[in-house]
Amino acid sequence: MRMRALLCSLLIAAVALVGCAGGQKVDTIKVGWFGALTGDQAVWGENELNTVKMLFEEYNAKGGIEVGGKKYKLEVIGYDNKGDAQEAVNVTKRLTGQDKVVAILGPNASGNAIPIAPILEAAKVPDIATVATNPKVTVMDGKVKPYNFRVCFIDPYQGAVAAGYAFDRLGARKAAILYDVSDDYSQGLREFFKASFTKKGGQIVADESFNAGDVDFRPQLAKIKAANPDVIFMPYFFKEVALSANQARELGITQVLLGGDGWPSEQLISMGGKAVEGCYFVNHLDYADPAVADYKARYKAKYGKDTELNGFLVHDAVLMLVDALKRAGKVDGEAVAKALTTTDIQGITGRIKIGADTHNPEGKDAAILKIVNGQYVFQEKYAAN
Amino acid sequence: MNQLLQQLVNGLSIGSVYALMAVGYSLVYSIMNFSNFAHGGVIMLGAYFGFFGLTLLKLPFAAAFILASVGTAVLATLIERVAYKPLRDRKAPFLYFIISAMGASILLENVVIATIGPTFRTYPEIFAREPIALGSLAIGRLDLIMFFVSAFCLACLILFIDKTRIGKAIQASAYNMKACALMGVNTDLVVLIVFALGGFLAGIAGVFFGMKYTVYPQIGNITTKSFIAAVFGGLGSLPGAVIGSVLLGVIETLVAGYLSSQFRDLIAFVILIGVLIVRPTGIMGKTAEDKA
Repeated sequence: MRMRALLCSLLIAAVALVGCAGGQKVDTIKVGWFGALTGDQAVWGENELNTVKMLFEEYNAKGGIEVGGKKYKLEVIGYDNKGDAQEAVNVTKRLTGQDKVVAILGPNASGNAIPIAPILEAAKVPDIATVATNPKVTVMDGKVKPYNFRVCFIDPYQGAVAAGYAFDRLGARKAAILYDVSDDYSQGLREFFKASFTKKGGQIVADESFNAGDVDFRPQLAKIKAANPDVIFMPYFFKEVALSANQARELGITQVLLGGDGWPSEQLISMGGKAVEGCYFVNHLDYADPAVADYKARYKAKYGKDTELNGFLVHDAVLMLVDALKRAGKVDGEAVAKALTTTDIQGITGRIKIGADTHNPEGKDAAILKIVNGQYVFQEKYAAN
Repeated sequence: MNQLLQQLVNGLSIGSVYALMAVGYSLVYSIMNFSNFAHGGVIMLGAYFGFFGLTLLKLPFAAAFILASVGTAVLATLIERVAYKPLRDRKAPFLYFIISAMGASILLENVVIATIGPTFRTYPEIFAREPIALGSLAIGRLDLIMFFVSAFCLACLILFIDKTRIGKAIQASAYNMKACALMGVNTDLVVLIVFALGGFLAGIAGVFFGMKYTVYPQIGNITTKSFIAAVFGGLGSLPGAVIGSVLLGVIETLVAGYLSSQFRDLIAFVILIGVLIVRPTGIMGKTAEDKA
């Protein structure tokens, strides 16, 4: 009787095993994504994840991608880190440890991309950050981080572009800065703006800060107003930009405001309205560039709303990853990271040629945009010298 | 001098927002002796009620305003019934009330994230953004309206509590709820009325906050500051809550304007702690005899 039961269970196990092996299924490549799906930057996180999903669906509809002579489907596993640095570390652990992804896309914020490096290195999983422009995302203490990459240009460059444009093109000689002291991105831009602007012979007449979560900037703005600058540099994100711009105008500040790539968003216009009219910001691309038109249309058709800036960059991050997977020839984080170091592709945001010792795309042009009648009007491609 | 005046105006305007929120904390504390941390969630929903009243229902401003305040008054009483009444009936320790309040606050925030969405929204522009200029002094129209509406509502509230029979019942319950019940006062109703009043003001605060700083699910976090202002002024005292709020607003702006914007919170709170060391019950804090 006992023997029989044992035989029975063996038989069942065997059938189950055969059933598994016999099933016709295409292997999938799991790719992680994380970013903010709640909080102030949720607009961007949602936009990134939607774009990755759309692109992966498009690849899969064409039968997937070929890696090392075998077809694979692409699957994205997306987590919300609420824009929080601690939570970024947690979700990275989960993606590498539990979900075993081959690579991670995102996050968009420097403050979230910087702390995840040790986990990536331990798990040998590469990450491509989207709009994380702080130098420390890929290079720390003069050493390149082996598993961190990015698809955007960096803060020194952005800060230098803003300072150069303000000094040379707008003719500003006195600048005031308001920045978010609790944010790596904002601090980075402020530092490099300050350095470039003073090097050119300009003067920083006010240098004020606020904390994340603040909604009232009038005390700082009143101080800036008293310093009477030619231009006010606001290197932070659109929500605070709109709030501080409105409050600046309420205090009777009429100067031109200048910002970085944290500005562009539909919300900036709807909320900032007249307050940001005539202001300038440094951006990664020109929205009217024919190269981006196709992606913009596909996104709008699928999701019924316009894509944000992040979508363009995560689009190119996906191109980078697919290219690296194909060249690596195997689904392995270490091999993909190695392939990423020699990336040289044409993305929709420009040519992406990764520098081996910086892991940044080298020599990407910045676009200067001006807000005119609630529209972003491309001024010129500007490279800082 | 001009900058000093401007900073004082800014401080008053920030303080008046804190005040509207702080009185809600003080009201409930005076009756129930616990800090109703769900108040932040009610304020947040007030901002959303007003927002949807204006955008979806296309109500005129005053109607949206009333809708929001009545909505939050109902909501606050609902929270009392669901989250606190069962605890009151069982005579639970006050710690449990605070935990229940925090639970309600987290619940409200997440329900909004799940249903309305996590992103922030912008009120339509109702008052022109151009400030009223007095010499080189600029005063926002919204700030001015906010200041007067807040002052009016707070005055009405204080009159209501001082002059009406219900107000007397509230005062008596604040003094001693058990004795009050023995004297035939329906203390259950008194508690409901207190929550409704706090909720009503929360709605007003929410709409103003939303108009000024946009609407988002984490508005509740801001109320931490108004709670601190209420403690500073003397928790349980309405005039104390108002004075504490205005002082906190002014201290914050002056510190940011003249010392360092980076250490604003640090310095402001060190001052507050200093005051509390000298006067542990807050500026207007009194003993149990004359709360509310």
